[in-house]
Amino acid sequence: MKTLIQRVFDGNDEMYAQAVAAVAEAEAKLGADAPVKMDTAYYLPCLYAMNGIKVTTIGEAKAALEGPIKDYMTRNLRTQDVFTSGVATALSGEIIEAMKYTMADGQPYEYPVMGHFTDAQIRELGVPLVTNDIPGVAVIIGEAPTAEQAANLAKEYQSQGIFVCLLGKCIDQCVEQGMKLGFNLRCVGIGYDLSAVAHAVSVTLRTAIIFGNQQPGDYEGMWTYTMARMFAFVNAFAPVPDLTVACGAGAIQLGFPVISNDLEGLANCRIPKSLVLQGNVDEFNATSLEARGIKIKITKMDIPVAFSTAFEGEIVRRGDMQIEFDGSRKTGLELVRTKELSEIEDHKFTLIGPDIDAFEPGSKVDYAIVVDVAGKSMSTDFESVFERKFHSFINCIEGVMHTGQRDLVRIRINKDAFNAGFRLKDLAEVVYVKIMSEYDAVVDKCQVTIVTDPEEAARIRKEVAIPLYDKRDERLNSLTDENVDQFYTCIMCQSFSPSHVCIVTPERLGLCGAVSWLDAKATNELDPTGPCQIVPKEHIIDENIGRWEEVNEAVNKYSHGALESVTLYSIMEDPMTSCGCFECICGIEPFSNGVVIVNREHTGLTPLGMTFSEMASMTGGGVQTPGFMGHGKHFIASKKFMKAEGGIARIVWMPKDLKDSVAERLNQTAKELYGIDDFASMIGDETVTEGDPEALVAFLSEVGHPALEMEPMM
Amino acid sequence: MELLTFEQVEKATERLLETGAKVGADSWQQRVKNQTPHCKFGEQGLCCKFCAMGPCRITPKAPKGICGCDAAGIVARNYLNFTASGSATHSDHGREICHTLYQTKEGGNYQVKDPEKLIRIAHEWGVETEGKDIYDLAHEMAELALLEYGKPFGVQRWLKRAPEHTQEIWKKVDIEPRAIDREVSCSLHMTHMGCSSKAEALLKQSLRAGLADGWGGSMCGTEFSDVMFGTPKPVDTTANLGVMEKDMVNIIVHGHDPSLSEMIVFYAQDPELIALAKAEGAKGINVCGVCCTANEVAMRHGIPMAGNFLQQENVVLTGAAEAVVVDVQCIFPALGPLSKCFHTKFITTSPIAQMPDSEFIRFNPENAGENAYNIVKMAVENFKNRKPELVHIPDLKTKATVGYSVEAIKKCLDRVTNSHVDETYTFKPLVECIRSGVLRGAVAIVGCNNPKVRTDEGHIRLMKKFLENDIIVAVTGCAAQAAAKYGLMDKEAKKFCGAGLRRVCTLVDIPPILHMGSCVDISRMMILAAEVSKDSGWNISEIPLLGCAPEWMSQKAVSIGNYVVATGIDTYLGVDPYTAGSKECEEIMQGENGLFKQWVEAKYTVEHDIDKLADVMIEAIEAKRTAIGI
Repeated sequence: MKTLIQRVFDGNDEMYAQAVAAVAEAEAKLGADAPVKMDTAYYLPCLYAMNGIKVTTIGEAKAALEGPIKDYMTRNLRTQDVFTSGVATALSGEIIEAMKYTMADGQPYEYPVMGHFTDAQIRELGVPLVTNDIPGVAVIIGEAPTAEQAANLAKEYQSQGIFVCLLGKCIDQCVEQGMKLGFNLRCVGIGYDLSAVAHAVSVTLRTAIIFGNQQPGDYEGMWTYTMARMFAFVNAFAPVPDLTVACGAGAIQLGFPVISNDLEGLANCRIPKSLVLQGNVDEFNATSLEARGIKIKITKMDIPVAFSTAFEGEIVRRGDMQIEFDGSRKTGLELVRTKELSEIEDHKFTLIGPDIDAFEPGSKVDYAIVVDVAGKSMSTDFESVFERKFHSFINCIEGVMHTGQRDLVRIRINKDAFNAGFRLKDLAEVVYVKIMSEYDAVVDKCQVTIVTDPEEAARIRKEVAIPLYDKRDERLNSLTDENVDQFYTCIMCQSFSPSHVCIVTPERLGLCGAVSWLDAKATNELDPTGPCQIVPKEHIIDENIGRWEEVNEAVNKYSHGALESVTLYSIMEDPMTSCGCFECICGIEPFSNGVVIVNREHTGLTPLGMTFSEMASMTGGGVQTPGFMGHGKHFIASKKFMKAEGGIARIVWMPKDLKDSVAERLNQTAKELYGIDDFASMIGDETVTEGDPEALVAFLSEVGHPALEMEPMM
Repeated sequence: MELLTFEQVEKATERLLETGAKVGADSWQQRVKNQTPHCKFGEQGLCCKFCAMGPCRITPKAPKGICGCDAAGIVARNYLNFTASGSATHSDHGREICHTLYQTKEGGNYQVKDPEKLIRIAHEWGVETEGKDIYDLAHEMAELALLEYGKPFGVQRWLKRAPEHTQEIWKKVDIEPRAIDREVSCSLHMTHMGCSSKAEALLKQSLRAGLADGWGGSMCGTEFSDVMFGTPKPVDTTANLGVMEKDMVNIIVHGHDPSLSEMIVFYAQDPELIALAKAEGAKGINVCGVCCTANEVAMRHGIPMAGNFLQQENVVLTGAAEAVVVDVQCIFPALGPLSKCFHTKFITTSPIAQMPDSEFIRFNPENAGENAYNIVKMAVENFKNRKPELVHIPDLKTKATVGYSVEAIKKCLDRVTNSHVDETYTFKPLVECIRSGVLRGAVAIVGCNNPKVRTDEGHIRLMKKFLENDIIVAVTGCAAQAAAKYGLMDKEAKKFCGAGLRRVCTLVDIPPILHMGSCVDISRMMILAAEVSKDSGWNISEIPLLGCAPEWMSQKAVSIGNYVVATGIDTYLGVDPYTAGSKECEEIMQGENGLFKQWVEAKYTVEHDIDKLADVMIEAIEAKRTAIGI
């Protein structure tokens, strides 16, 4: 019987030979100078991460194969050689995949295969990875004994929030069982050939670069990061060929265990905690989670459909819809109210009006959900914090989609969920259980009322909800950086980005967009030793630029000495760092003397000649890069947005969707700060130009944009 | 973290020797010079003093002694005599432990701290435990254990712990050890004038006398020490001379028997005595260990380890040792006169090891508490007599995690098991690592220091070489201290390992070198080998596992070597065992097809060049792997 080491070496040789052939084919067809086409700012990300080499053309890919990749393929009988040969196998796989993308002009795959993950997708995974909403990444390889077992395994992971990458025949098995695949469902097909394993590896290594600030080329830094922080693992179905064994060696190098049912073929290859043999595929889930040390947060939810973060991005289309609550046409609102403890009967559910089975399929109906909470430490400031979480609570229900907030809520429930027996009491149950489990430190009692009766819903909107929203807005508007006594740190991301610290202020929310000053305050009260710590603002150094002694002390302490000082209002001088999961990034546009802002969803070019991904790769990982700064969408309209450089008047370009979403508040700020009306219309977008700075300047001159008159930033 | 260098340690020693020169002290370094060159006949094992007709010395011109014994007979006799002394020494240590176990009582000086282990051994020995008071059981077991030393019939009870294949070999070759004392006596009888002169017979008995130690007396010592003082589990400590504290009362415990050191450690924590220390101007009381006593108290209490065998004079040379308290074995008689050059009290406690220039305070289980109290008090009151101008503690201090008993290792290995597929509390994870090649094998490095080898260099160079090659290392005795002194027992030292061993250290959360205890605790290593054999299906001799004593010097070490070989583990020596005078003996012990190999499937290899030794051993491990197809 071949030894494990020999199998790794043989599998590595096989993948390498395939890569050599793939490059030769591409070179023959397109020539050595043809550019490699994979949508990422990180070249061939696995190779770039492990070796630092930047491959942009087919010729360079060939050189990489003959140079650094070959150099990893040493053949001593030691684990080191097994590890580097495993990595060389994944890198060879990446070259094969890159050649596929290049030959197919960037689109080699169609549903159900997704293949490569874009940088934006990885950044989108940032927050859920950090918050443990995605507790792990499963890579399932090969053909399960039955299609049902393949689908069950994938669904089991999905229901735990684990991101699933399917490789090989298991893709078809899942599809055959009626599963839908897609990034938003956190279950994707990455390819049929084993070379596609590189797409999964690429996710983990780009995470190390983007969030972990690991330097490309730092081989050891990469694997120590992934081993400590990326909870990925592999499930490989029998029979496992040498090629998979070699990929497995690469996975193990990165700290990812391999679980297989190939009891015979791998009998000699068991490695504790790294190569685990489990004959019963139905036990793969539990065995894998234990092998990788993944603990699933269990929220017991007594409802007829699944509840998991995996369903958070699920979309319910009109055709699949059983019923819709629509705040734009009807009443559709959600409200959290603080009450006295004596006024609440805990876990009580009241329905006013008919339940959803009383309506015709496809109906649009009125809806108001009023959640009363009470607790000794409850503060009315937390009401909106809880309310904002409804979006994620309700979205995690399988077959239910939620958008919007306050009285502009839209909820769709699909037919499958309805047929499974899902009713409004179940919706209420989800909200109740989540509030009681996530906010147990401040909420002692909670009751839920749902209203579908049109008149009562309208009355609640007019008499209860709107006055309360107004009151809150007043309070929120009164919250400025000047009139609070303290800011907060947020280091939730440090599980991935160990040296990044956010300073959250009333006028500057966390760059992920998920943590406002009130959120931070609530987090601090819920967990006083947790990620949000109070930063008193007693000693100001420079008000204009936003420099405080205590802020510097805090970033120094919580970045473990990596940062000495940050300013809150400048992008040029000690700008605030970012972890990598920012919603938007702004960067200096030198011709116009302004800045360009681009959001994660926008895939096109900016006038800087860079995409979001490319701009984003300039910073992140807790590093200060003057001239580039990650931030939340909400911050764009803040009076404190790059106040030191003159404020929002510097904004010269944004994607149209982003501009539209912030226009109202932006215009109001511009009016207040500079007396300019309709400032948003002075900002360029992709209809003006995508990659041409001169066209942008021409547009700005035409509309008389204020940035052109301002002092140079550099 | 970085490892200490030999130069750093030697420089510190030189500085201490300057103090020694100032006060007119003698040193082993000087005595080595005085004794060099050594007697060639002695070195080759060719001098016979067993009767008063001689001494006879074998030369080409005089190939036989007066009685007619040839070189092979003389070398083998000397070797067996050497072994018998070592076996007697370890076993007598074990006997003392059994006697102490017999004296245990509720609330007494000595108690049963690991009743579970006592019950487990009782079951092994077929002793009923149900409804029995733990102290009644302890006394019953102590008596049974003491009978192992003189039982008229039968063989050692512990042998049943060995794999069946090994037990069969012992039976077939007729080396199953009978009563421990009988094997020692029998050995001395065989070497008496006019008895055995056949090398083969003498050397075979040396294996048997060794087994009486390792699978008899030493195992009693280890197992019942655990019962009384607790089975070691991982604990953090510090090592090297820098563990002595300038502002504290330093009490050095030195020797082997934990019965003494346990008491000293206990009373050093006595609030009254600490208060007294403070009243005397010290910040507290600091107990540090030297030699195997250090291993015992470090493993059980995390007491810092000041140094190993050849560092024993250095602790006095610091001028900061208030007392050196010793029991038995490996204690330089030089410590007496040396302590007179300083304020240090040199206290002997055992009738077995009495020396000039010492204060003798006889220790026994009845008066242990009282005596320990008085000794600590004496040390505390001696603090004021320090000569500040002579005090110099080298700034050498490393971190170490120690305490890897067989039980503790299995517990650690449980960390990498998967409850859905694996059994817990076995050596299977280790076997899997070896089978898959993540680890190439294991080496036990044991033994002393010996001025014939640059101090600790043999240990450290071998260890580093093995770690780089994914070979896990288990250690005891002065080898263990060497590893700790240089930093190799720091968990961070995994960075000096190959990728496989490094990963194992990370996942199992262990340092790359496992401290398994004192020299008596090499019996733990035998149990480990036996369990690995059972968990893997490989015979012990098939496991890629080797023994090594690169700097050995004592008779005990030869006894150990014999039982390690007799257990089926190839053993490598860095110092000659006085056998070079007979090619016949060397062939029996070291030959690829020699009698040792034929009898017990293992043999000795002697290699003085440490680098060559490492290469030969790594090759041997790879050859064992190939032989079993892994």
